[in-house]
Amino acid sequence: MKQKNTSFIIIALFLAGAFMPLILKQYHLNMLTEIIIFALFAVSYNLLLGYAGLLSFGHAMFFGLGAFMTAVAIIHIPGLALWNAILIGVVTTIIAGFVIGSLLLRHKGAYFALLTLAFNALFYAVATKWHSVTGGDDGLSITRPDLSLGFTSISMASLTHFYYLTLIIVGAAIVFCWYFTHTAMGKTVLLMRENEERMKFLGYNTNISRLLLFTFTGAVAGLAGSFYTLHFQFVSISAISVDMTTAVLLMAFVGGTKTFWGPILGAFVYIILQNYLSNITDRWPLFMGFIFVSMVLFIPGGLSEVIMNIRQRLFGKKDNNGGKSAASEEV
Amino acid sequence: MRRKFFGGLCILSMVLMLALPVGALAQDTIKIGVTEPLSGTFKDIGERYLDGVLYAAQVINEGGGLLGKKVEVVPVDSELKPDVATRKAQNLILKDGVKFFTGGTGSSVGAAMAQLAEKQNVIMFTYGMDAASMTGEKCNKNFFRPGGSTDGRSFALAQLVVKMGYKKIAIIGQDYSFGHEALAAFKKRIAQISPSTKIVCELYHPAGTKDYGPYVSQIIAAKPDAIFTPNWGNDLTLLLKQGRPMGMNQKIFDYYINDEVTIEALGNDSLIIGSMGAEIWTISMPTKKNEAFVNKFYKDKKRWPSYCAGKAYTATMFWAEAIKKAGTTDVAAVIKAWEGLSFDGPAGVWTMRAGDHQGQVPYWYTEIVAKNKYFKHAFEAPRGMATAKSVEVSLAETGCKMKK
Repeated sequence: MKQKNTSFIIIALFLAGAFMPLILKQYHLNMLTEIIIFALFAVSYNLLLGYAGLLSFGHAMFFGLGAFMTAVAIIHIPGLALWNAILIGVVTTIIAGFVIGSLLLRHKGAYFALLTLAFNALFYAVATKWHSVTGGDDGLSITRPDLSLGFTSISMASLTHFYYLTLIIVGAAIVFCWYFTHTAMGKTVLLMRENEERMKFLGYNTNISRLLLFTFTGAVAGLAGSFYTLHFQFVSISAISVDMTTAVLLMAFVGGTKTFWGPILGAFVYIILQNYLSNITDRWPLFMGFIFVSMVLFIPGGLSEVIMNIRQRLFGKKDNNGGKSAASEEV
Repeated sequence: MRRKFFGGLCILSMVLMLALPVGALAQDTIKIGVTEPLSGTFKDIGERYLDGVLYAAQVINEGGGLLGKKVEVVPVDSELKPDVATRKAQNLILKDGVKFFTGGTGSSVGAAMAQLAEKQNVIMFTYGMDAASMTGEKCNKNFFRPGGSTDGRSFALAQLVVKMGYKKIAIIGQDYSFGHEALAAFKKRIAQISPSTKIVCELYHPAGTKDYGPYVSQIIAAKPDAIFTPNWGNDLTLLLKQGRPMGMNQKIFDYYINDEVTIEALGNDSLIIGSMGAEIWTISMPTKKNEAFVNKFYKDKKRWPSYCAGKAYTATMFWAEAIKKAGTTDVAAVIKAWEGLSFDGPAGVWTMRAGDHQGQVPYWYTEIVAKNKYFKHAFEAPRGMATAKSVEVSLAETGCKMKK
């Protein structure tokens, strides 16, 4: 029953997304594309934070690595197909995720958080100093390659075309993340968060599970980063800086880390607020900080908690997924 | 209960913020986006540049506007980050149909804006981003520089040094692309016009160096007659503050010597008096049009225009000339009209070279003197100029291959 419901919602969202270019102006479509990309980034982050209980301050290194690799590949390999550019970005982050994950997997809590911060700083330093490849402070400008489907080629210069590509690929990746949380692997992650000792006792190798999860979320963040480059047709060191980690942390917290869709909502609110606030005042990060602090203090469950509460009040029924920990879900 | 109350308040404030009317831009105006750092470390420079564009718009609008429409300036806080600037500019293009952008701080912002301009088919021009490569190998048809470049400035100062008879020069610059480009152009020009002049010392220090002791010692040991540097801001003030007491008494030739904020920050005029610079606009240029502009600015604002404001003002007026000539705001038509256009403004005749969109402009020499009519502290006095022709870099040498 629940599965069926969710599939229905997913299909409805995709259909709604498909009609958006007919309704929205270019400006809003541009913003929506950005929201979808950051939603994927936030979802991948939340798999670590909300599901595995691992606070990472270094998620931007995967995002940035994917972003930079895609840009570097497009610039240095003439005639590179769009697919391959994305693939290069994702494969690199898989490798990076695996290597860094192997070094981190024994650590948890504050040690894990600080080590990820250190690795992020390392990547940031490389991006800043390796001027000949990353462009340093100047960043890299690219032109989106056309999408070749074998029999035909679609121009990606048009925003609408790129929006559809983002909707399909990034949307599918988000759905895959959701599917991942329902696989045996996804459940292992939840159980590990709740009681790792017991998992070990039952014979699971929790280190390997954590490594797999770390690599997986890294790859997903890399895909988001790759699309970020394609969307802005530009990448600079901001994409790999700690600011980017802060942004995704804000999205996850504002939306709520306890549900799968909370971070998606968070990305939506964050991007829109950022656009509106930065139009009104140069001091928009101050307001963002204010919102973040108030959210953590007063609504730790984020916007998704609020929505769940309202729904519960209106319909008087308690959703088995709402307001509570994702772990309560079919465990 | 309290928690719920504050939670509700928090949500309410977010909803309210979303509902706030966003400063919608007027419909029938010619909009120009100005990407400057309006927050952070370089806020002061950004605001002084913006000041000039705003004043130009005011003057144009007082005179009946452009093509019968008012010019509307849209400040864009670039935070000196290329991704922030392009993202905000893209939104302005899509939402408000802004077709013209300008800015003066950060060649990194400029290079990214130039690429965006080409993709979105809008125009970006700069009055203060000086890296020669922007109209060199990175040039494109949607980017214009009605201002100076590292090549022009270094050429002008090299010519001045040679004319004044200095034979042994020490050169020092920041260790990044800007410093390297500036020093390379200076050496090149010296070698061309006076092979007997020697560069006795060539030093690069990291931008933002705090201790100039080791560099100053090397300069003094090389016994130069004069010193050339493209340093600005703190890198200039600290070089002077630490170098002068150590015995580095040579005349200094610098790109941005006539910066009233830098001189005031020095706190001791004797450190900088006698130093010389070359700029595309200086307050003391003895042209009739400049005197009229400077006096009108003073009358309107009760303060003197900064060199940033003067550059931005003159470049914006040049842009307005191009629009007038095109008779339309159509981007292709404005590009065509601007190419080869000459503008007789406050800073002499500026001509936009069609091949690389680099303005061919004269450079005005200044010397810092104690007594001046503008400020209580030491400031500039005019010392002639280098004609545009004399500092010209041939199109072939720039490395620009523009796709039309």
